[in-house]
Amino acid sequence: MGYPMQGSTNHPQKEESVGHFDMEVLVGYILLAGVLISVASLAIGLIWHWARWGNLRFEYSIVGMNFFEFLLTILGQMASAVMRPRFFLNMGIGILMLTPFVRVLASVFYFAFVERNWRYTLFTGFVLTVLTYSLFLR
Amino acid sequence: MFFEFLFLVSIVAGFIGVMSGMGGGVILIPVLTFFGMEIKHAIAISIVSVIATSSGSASAYVRDHITNLKVGMFLEMFTIVGALVGAAITLISGRRFLFILFGIVLLSSWIALFRQRSEGWHQTTHQDLFSRWLQLQGKYYDQSIRQTIEYRGIRAYLGGPSMFVAGMIAGLLGIGAGALKVLIHDLVMGLPPKVSTTTSNLIIGVTALAGTSVYLAAGMIDPGLAAPVILGVVLGATIGTHLLVRMTNQTVRRFFLMVLLILGVEMILRGIVSS
Repeated sequence: MGYPMQGSTNHPQKEESVGHFDMEVLVGYILLAGVLISVASLAIGLIWHWARWGNLRFEYSIVGMNFFEFLLTILGQMASAVMRPRFFLNMGIGILMLTPFVRVLASVFYFAFVERNWRYTLFTGFVLTVLTYSLFLR
Repeated sequence: MFFEFLFLVSIVAGFIGVMSGMGGGVILIPVLTFFGMEIKHAIAISIVSVIATSSGSASAYVRDHITNLKVGMFLEMFTIVGALVGAAITLISGRRFLFILFGIVLLSSWIALFRQRSEGWHQTTHQDLFSRWLQLQGKYYDQSIRQTIEYRGIRAYLGGPSMFVAGMIAGLLGIGAGALKVLIHDLVMGLPPKVSTTTSNLIIGVTALAGTSVYLAAGMIDPGLAAPVILGVVLGATIGTHLLVRMTNQTVRRFFLMVLLILGVEMILRGIVSS
């Protein structure tokens, strides 16, 4: 993603974490990968549709579905050739929504098993629980 | 034509969002509603695109070790609950309320942004017990002055509840509410400017996800409309960031801030005249 205000160079405080697991770098790459895959998927979907129909008209909405049902629908569409542009659009949105979720999931594991910080395991666990609950809303 | 148009408008919104430091949603929603989109739909689509822009910029900052993950995780507990409440309020609100609130929030963020930030930060020597228990201290390497800066976050007991309100506004209006979050980090929690900006970026992504899930469940996210908007905003923000690195001129930022002032007043007026 083209947002950096300055390059990612080695900073002095990094030396302290040599031999340790660098959580910040992992979080950074989770976010970057999520956004890149999502944007690529959306672009493929739109371009494919445009190449086939000559416009970007794509009207359909996802009604009465929670996020996990939405993910299942995406998997279903993967199989059918007719639905493929739509599959890419849905996948782009699905991956985008999973990006912060995976970031929080990774943080829970980090605080629980690497840093062994029960306080923050609890905090991140709470965030993960609320997010999971909200993704089950319908 | 509408979908191509949506894409172009989103590029402009992402661009102005970066140039003014305000974020894409704040421009996107007034523009989408101006061209006839229902405000609730504009809010729902905008908040999905907020996940993309905030995660994109956060990814770079986190790897630079400026973002404070602990401050972020602690405050996210408050913002996500706020976002769920806010999005639920939007679903039952009328147009007039949303337009007027949007205008008010836009104008107050405007004031927050106009304030000079980089000066005036002082290292706090005393950290309250709760903030110490939360381990809200950290350090980062500042490239511009080639120094490692150590800081202690303070007043977490006030920062948390304030961030609930910030999260609620984000969920309600489909924006990142970054200006408000940065203000809380600066003034309440005493974080250095770079840390508050980057940490707020991280928080915005998770907060926007909580809001998005409510709008998705309500059937208000139309992937065919969201896709060109997300792509456009990300593209515009990327162009804006690359331009911004080369510019230090305050007048350019002031110009874009003037655009936002007009949008804020316009939203309030539309709220008043709408039925």
